[in-house]
Amino acid sequence: MNALLTTSVGSFPKPEYLTRARTKASKGELSPDGLRTLEEKATSEWIRFQEEIGIDILVDGEQYRGDMATYFAENIDGTEISGLVRSYGNRYYKKPIIVDELRRRGPISVDWFTFAQAQTKRPVKGMITGPYTMMDWSFDEYYGSRADACFAFAKLLHDEAVALEAAGAKVVQVDEPALSTRFDELPLLVRAVGIVTKGLKAKTVLHTCYGNYNEIFDYFNKLPVDQLDLEMSNSGLDLLDRFKREPLKKEIAFGVVDVHSHVIEPESLIRERIEKALTIFSPSKLLIDPDCGLKTRSVDEARIKLRNMVAAAHAVRTAHGLT
Amino acid sequence: MVRTTVVGTYPRIGETSEEQALRRGIARLDRGEIVEAELQAIERDTVRQVLREQNEIGIDLVTDGQISWYDSQSHFAGKLVSVETNGLVRYFDTNTYYRQPVVRGAVAWKGPVLADDWKFAQANSKVPVKAVLTGPVTLASLALDKHYRSKKALALDLATAVGEEVGSLVQAGASNVQIDEPILTRYPGDLTLVSEALERIRSHKARSTLTLFTFFGDVAAIYKDLGDAPADILGLDLVQGSATWPVLAKHGSTKPLVLGLIDARNTREEDPAAIAKKALELKGAVDLKASYLSPSNGLEFLPRDRARRKLQILRTAAQKAGVGA
Repeated sequence: MNALLTTSVGSFPKPEYLTRARTKASKGELSPDGLRTLEEKATSEWIRFQEEIGIDILVDGEQYRGDMATYFAENIDGTEISGLVRSYGNRYYKKPIIVDELRRRGPISVDWFTFAQAQTKRPVKGMITGPYTMMDWSFDEYYGSRADACFAFAKLLHDEAVALEAAGAKVVQVDEPALSTRFDELPLLVRAVGIVTKGLKAKTVLHTCYGNYNEIFDYFNKLPVDQLDLEMSNSGLDLLDRFKREPLKKEIAFGVVDVHSHVIEPESLIRERIEKALTIFSPSKLLIDPDCGLKTRSVDEARIKLRNMVAAAHAVRTAHGLT
Repeated sequence: MVRTTVVGTYPRIGETSEEQALRRGIARLDRGEIVEAELQAIERDTVRQVLREQNEIGIDLVTDGQISWYDSQSHFAGKLVSVETNGLVRYFDTNTYYRQPVVRGAVAWKGPVLADDWKFAQANSKVPVKAVLTGPVTLASLALDKHYRSKKALALDLATAVGEEVGSLVQAGASNVQIDEPILTRYPGDLTLVSEALERIRSHKARSTLTLFTFFGDVAAIYKDLGDAPADILGLDLVQGSATWPVLAKHGSTKPLVLGLIDARNTREEDPAAIAKKALELKGAVDLKASYLSPSNGLEFLPRDRARRKLQILRTAAQKAGVGA
C-alpha cells in the first residue's frame, strides 16, 4: 500500500559553487556550457540526497532556474525580461514582460526532467509554472487582457505538459502560487489549468501557497488535477477543521515544514502535524512534503528539514502499521 | 500648471552596482559582516538617490520611497505596544508579501517611528517631502487580531496611534501627510470606519495637508460619500480603479484630488498627451490647479528604470495638462 508517500514541492537551495557560477555567467565570465555542467552536478547531488534519505517522489531541485516564472518566460517567444522587482524582504526577481504573441519555442523543462529521471528509478515530477501565475507575474504590453494572456500561456504549457509525459513523467505538477491573488479570477484559473492538464494520463498536481485558503476553499474540488499540494504548517494547520466538514475529493500533499523559517522543526513536531493530518485524510491519499520550495533556505537547513520530514513520515507509517 | 506627486514606495534597487547597494548591505547584515548603523547609512544613501531621481525629473511633492520599510504593515504596526509580527502573507493582489502583525493586547503608540526618516529626507530634497502612513483600517484588516475580536475597536485604537505618529511628523516639520487606505477598494463598506478613524488622526494634523489615498482598485460605489471623509485631499487609483472614473467625471469633486492615472503596475508606457487629455476632461468639475497627477499606487512594483520612465511620463503629462488647465 502506498501510504504517506514523501515528496517535495520543487526548488532546493543552490550550493555555493553554483551561486558563484551563476554570478560569473551573468557577467560573461563563464560559458553557458560551463554553467550547465555545474547545474547538472548540483542536480545530481540533490537527486542522490533525496534517494539517500528515502523520499518517494523526487524533484529535480530547479538548480537551473533563477525564478520560476522568469525561467519559463526566458524559454517562450514573445517575452522580454525586466529589471529586478521586489517580492519581499531582500528577495527580488526579474519579471517577464509580454511584448508579443506568446509561442512555445521548444521544450522548456523537458531536458532537465529527462536528465534528472535518468539518474533514479524513483519517479521525478515534471514541473510547470502554471498559466495563471505566469500571467499574473508578468507585465503585459501586448494582450491588454488578463484572460487572453492567461489562455495564451495555458495553450503552450499544455504542449509542455504533453512533452513531459512523453518523456516519461508519471507526475506533472502545475505550480500556481498566484492562485489566491484575485478571488474573482478563480474561474479563469480553473479553465486555464484545465487546458494545461487536458488529456494527460500522468498524475496531475496543483501546488499553491501563502494565500487565504478559506476564501478559495470552494474551488479546491473544482481544480482539474488529481492532487492538491498545499502549504499547511505556515498557516498553522488552520484549515483542517474545514477539511473535516467539507472533504477533499482529491489526494493532498500536505506541507509540514515551514520553508521561510530558519527554525528546524524537530521530528516530533512534524510527527504531530502528520498525525493531525491523518485524523482528516486517508493515508493512501495523504502525501507529506515541505510547505513550498526550499530554495530560500541554506543547503544545510534544507537537508535537515527534509531529513526530519522523512524520518517523521516513516515513524508515523510504522506507528500505524502502514509499511 | 498641474502638479505632480508620487504615492509612496519607490524601487529600492536598480540594475547598476550603485543602485544595488541596499541589497548587498542587507545581505551583509544577515551574514553578520556589518552592523545596523552601517545598514542605516546605506539606506540613507539609497534615500538620497531616490530623492535625487524624483527631484531631477521635477516631481513637485515627493516621498522618501519608504526605503526603510520592510513592508507596508509591519514597519509601523510592529513597533506598537502589544503587536508582534508573524509569517508572510500576500499583500492584496500583488506578488509581494508582508509580515503579518499579530495583536496580542491593547495597542498603543510607543514613540515616533517615521519622524527621523522624514527629517532626513526633507533635508535632502529640493521640494516638500510627503509623509506616508498606512491607515488604521487597512492595518486592522490585514493584522491577525488575537485581542479585540472587533475590527472597529482595533482600528480605532490604531487610529489613535497613527494620530500620535502624525503629530510627531507635523512637529518635525511635515506639511503634507498621506494616509493610505487601500482596503476601501476591497471593502467599501468600511468607509464609515475610515472616516471615524480619520477624525482621530485629523486632530493631530495641525496645519498640515492631510491626504486620504485608496489604491489597488476602484471606489465607485462609495465615491460620492468619500468626499465627506475628513481629509483635505483625496487620492484615487484610476488605472486598476478605472471604474471610479465615470462617477468622478459625472460628480466632480469639491476637494482637490490626486489623480492616479499612470499605471504603476505595468511597464507599458502611456502617451503623456492622452493622460493630459484625460485629466483635462475634469476641468470645471475638479480644481485641477490644486490637484496632482500621480502614478496609480506606489512604484515598487516596477523595475527602477521603468519607474523612472513612468515619472518622466507623469511630468510630461502634467506639463501638457497645465497648458490647458
